[in-house]
Amino acid sequence: MNIRSAKPEDLMNMQHCNLLCLPENYQMKYYFYHGLSWPQLSYVAEDDKGKVVGYVLSKMEEDPDDVPHGHITSLAVKRSHRRLGLAQKLMDQASRAMVECFNAKYVSLHVRISNRAALHLYTHTLKFNIYEVEPKYYADGEDAYAMKRELTEFYKDDSTTYKMKRNEADDRDGDKGKKKGRNGTDSERHIHGDKCGEKCEGSEETKSLKKGKKKKEKETKDNGGKDLCCECACKDHHHSDTT
Amino acid sequence: MPSSQPLPPKENTLFKRILKCYEQKQYKNSLKFAKAILTNPKYCDHGETLAMKGLTMNCMGRKEEAYDYVRRGLRNDLQSHVCWHVYGLLQRSDRKYDEAIKCYRNALKWDKDNIQILRDLSLLQIQMRDLEGYRETRFQLLQLRPAQRVSWIGYAMSHHLSKEYDMALRVLEEFRKTQTPKPYDYEHSELLLYQNEVMRESGMFNEALNHLETYERQICDKLAANEIKGALCLRLGKMKEAELIYRDLIARNPENHENYRRLEEALGLSNDDARYNMYKQFRSIYPRAEAPRRLPLNFTFGDTFCQLIDEYLRRALHKGVPPLFVNIKSIYKDKEKIPAIEKIVLSYLESLEKYCTFSPADAEKPDYDKEPPTAYLWTLFYLAQHYDYLRETTKALKYINIALDHTPTLIELFVAKGRIYKHAGDIKESVACLDEAQSQDTADRYINSKCAKYMLRANLVKEAEEMCAKFTREGVSSMDNLNEMQCMWFQIECAKSYQRMHNYGEALKKCHEIDRHFSEIIEDQFDFHTYCMRKMTLRAYVGLLRLEDVIRYHPYYFKAAKIAIEVYIDIHDHPPTDSDKTEEIDTENLTPKELKKLRSKQRRAARKAEEKKKEEEKAESRHQNKNKHDTEMDGPKEEELVPEKLAKVDKPLEQAIYFLKPLQEFTSHLVDTHLLAFDIYYRKDKLLLMLQSIKRIWNIDSNNSRLHFCVCRFVKAVEDKKDIADAVSSVIKQELKKLIGDQDMKTFNEEFIARNPNSLEHIIAGAQGKYVYSNSDSVIDLITQLGDNLEDRNLQNCTEVLNLLCDFFKCESAAEEYQRKCHELFPFAAQFAAPQEEDDHPEESKITTKQANSIPS
Repeated sequence: MNIRSAKPEDLMNMQHCNLLCLPENYQMKYYFYHGLSWPQLSYVAEDDKGKVVGYVLSKMEEDPDDVPHGHITSLAVKRSHRRLGLAQKLMDQASRAMVECFNAKYVSLHVRISNRAALHLYTHTLKFNIYEVEPKYYADGEDAYAMKRELTEFYKDDSTTYKMKRNEADDRDGDKGKKKGRNGTDSERHIHGDKCGEKCEGSEETKSLKKGKKKKEKETKDNGGKDLCCECACKDHHHSDTT
Repeated sequence: MPSSQPLPPKENTLFKRILKCYEQKQYKNSLKFAKAILTNPKYCDHGETLAMKGLTMNCMGRKEEAYDYVRRGLRNDLQSHVCWHVYGLLQRSDRKYDEAIKCYRNALKWDKDNIQILRDLSLLQIQMRDLEGYRETRFQLLQLRPAQRVSWIGYAMSHHLSKEYDMALRVLEEFRKTQTPKPYDYEHSELLLYQNEVMRESGMFNEALNHLETYERQICDKLAANEIKGALCLRLGKMKEAELIYRDLIARNPENHENYRRLEEALGLSNDDARYNMYKQFRSIYPRAEAPRRLPLNFTFGDTFCQLIDEYLRRALHKGVPPLFVNIKSIYKDKEKIPAIEKIVLSYLESLEKYCTFSPADAEKPDYDKEPPTAYLWTLFYLAQHYDYLRETTKALKYINIALDHTPTLIELFVAKGRIYKHAGDIKESVACLDEAQSQDTADRYINSKCAKYMLRANLVKEAEEMCAKFTREGVSSMDNLNEMQCMWFQIECAKSYQRMHNYGEALKKCHEIDRHFSEIIEDQFDFHTYCMRKMTLRAYVGLLRLEDVIRYHPYYFKAAKIAIEVYIDIHDHPPTDSDKTEEIDTENLTPKELKKLRSKQRRAARKAEEKKKEEEKAESRHQNKNKHDTEMDGPKEEELVPEKLAKVDKPLEQAIYFLKPLQEFTSHLVDTHLLAFDIYYRKDKLLLMLQSIKRIWNIDSNNSRLHFCVCRFVKAVEDKKDIADAVSSVIKQELKKLIGDQDMKTFNEEFIARNPNSLEHIIAGAQGKYVYSNSDSVIDLITQLGDNLEDRNLQNCTEVLNLLCDFFKCESAAEEYQRKCHELFPFAAQFAAPQEEDDHPEESKITTKQANSIPS
């Protein structure tokens, strides 16, 4: 599978992959929002026909009280393409871009507390730590673990160091895979649930984009009329016109 | 410019309050203040107040009154920029952008330097791709607000988009000089990369490379910078530099295939041995990377290939990589590699059964390790998929069943089994497999989706909907939620399902919903026009604009449009009657087959009526839901799609053309586009447009089988038509000569058949052509041949023959005979099953054909 940075024309196919794999879905505009705000932070894995079989959609959190940090909005790999290590490779690429482009110090994400497969991936393979439980985070009332991964390792801007680190990580994972394989197939379906979806990150903007219809007005509120506004912008303008 | 109807201070204060309340969405208050002004007889005609009242009402969902007041306001004060601006805003909220542009232009007549109106205008201009107008407006904005960053960027971009690179670059460079970048200055970095992109688009490759090298330290997007640099070096023949860059890029991401290809180019590797050696090196540098092991399998042959695939397969089977087959499936395009792979995997199986090793030789080594039992399982799994690919259903089932006996809990096995049945034409059995799979892991949406998809293939729409409902929002019907989430795979499969069941209203509804998603996606870009200029993500923004320009190129649109066109054509051919006359038909005079058909038709009608009732109930509840939200809605209300109305459309061919146009614009490289076009124009009796479609197909694939039938029908249409204008007639003659030479149609057809003796597709087209010109007896013999010489004697084509025998040639006995023969060839296919077996599902029998043969995504 080919792994590369996502282009605008990939976004629709990422949406398709998301709808196939995860319960947390978004309208196209929300994908555009990611692709046009942080074009470097999303990656796709594609098959020989160019079909998206996995993706990571991520963003920067713009929280003035905290150090710059990234956030994984959504990560999915089709079940038919699991155990190829795609999730890890996608995440590593996105994380590195967060550091290089936006000086991110850590990356965060949410995961359903019942999603043991994903939890395993995040804690063991990707070295995320749980720092919080967010009660009733998901639309259906399920709690989420809020997780973080420090990105200091990506700060060594020396590609040999990078290489070395990668191989170590891979080796660790490889050994684990071997053991799992030997343990029998029964548990195999549990070790690679590469999914992380989320409800609304507590931000009005996301919420509104998820909900659809009412999006524009809410976005404006959230961004203080600065970003993504349409309806309100013209109202503002009109106001300043006539007064 | 002051209004022609100035208000005294008291009223003027009130007017300002209207604006404030409007802006803060306190619409009721806004109306209250408007009322306060308008009730004063002196100002009851105050234009701007009337207009604002209308605009407020628009936000409250009172559309008709809104237009009324805004127009009245405008009539009373035609020289007010406020009135014009408000009218523009109103039109814009209804997405009538062309009208809105006119209004803004009028507003500017009375206040030519109004920044807000200019900005609003520029947004509409770029949305509508009025590039010339956009450039002018951006120029004015730059002049009025030269201190603003956006003014410069917008002006530069307006030139870039109209391909005036010099000007764009000059403006960008002037602007760049004023900037002092901070550390981690992402926006500055994006500006530089945008500037570089414009340089490259204008063909200034040397300059672009210098530019990149000069500002390298200021660019944070290292990946983009390196990729651009690599491409430029290759282009400029700086192979040494390019090589280093691509080695770096591979180190960064060893799974990017493009980087390896470019590196091959930089190294000038022309023969496959040299290429293979390069990948071999990378394999040792990055032992865990997949690409350097996988890619050489594409271009190596013979012994090298066998050795490589052996290593590759062993490793994956040992480790337990379920997607092993999907990972190397594309190698199967090389027919000669298939037997090699088969031989190797079969030998593993034999050895694993006996020695628990991949080869007997391994077992002879003194300290050998036994393979885990899973290796045996994955080998079986692989073989099942392998034989399924080759459509050797019996073998595929044999291996998958052994695997299931071995491990009955592995979901992937059920999925594979379902796929085998689907390919073999037994969609009912494949639904059962997928249902089993999803019941074993109800938390996995992927399995759930696959199961729903197979259900739709089996025309089980209701079941599929219920299946999907496990993952859609509670409290909303899953159909509605999937539509809201733009879940197009579902809607397309659903439309196909309805199409097969001749439930045309529902099928069309789904197609229109998909069409609306595309309109919505085009609409989505509106907010980004301002947003991206502020965020400085200009490359991504230009990428978005270019994507939106061609958005309907997407396969989803193509699929939806194809279904819609086929349905509209069928509605044209069989216009719906007001009452179902079947009941009056004398059933005694019918043959058993006809009777059966009739019965199934009646059942269909009953089902339809039931569905209709349900739909009405649903529409009712939807309607109630909608009313709640009405006040908050923005954007125009779209007309509700009512299936019954859609199916009773007045001019179905005009509707078909609506769906065809984007196909002709964006997917003109596809034969299917022009086949659909031909089918429409044929029915509209438009000779020249038919000819145009034929010529377009000819240019793509001159020996296309379906093209042949188009030509036959076209010639016949020309013959049958009297009074063709001379000019038209001579064009047709001239073009026809190029297509068929001097032959008469009979010879042309015979020759076509003789030229393609081993292609069932061509034989089908030849038979159809023959039918147009001569009698049908010899046609039946021709079309029902099933010799081993036929290269495309597959389920799809044989099903098409069967359908043609029933519907086109109308030859019952031949159809039954053919069905029997096909049953031997495709024992699992429901469409060829013996009549008593298929009795319960008459429609399904003809259905799954095309899909059943395609490899699932």
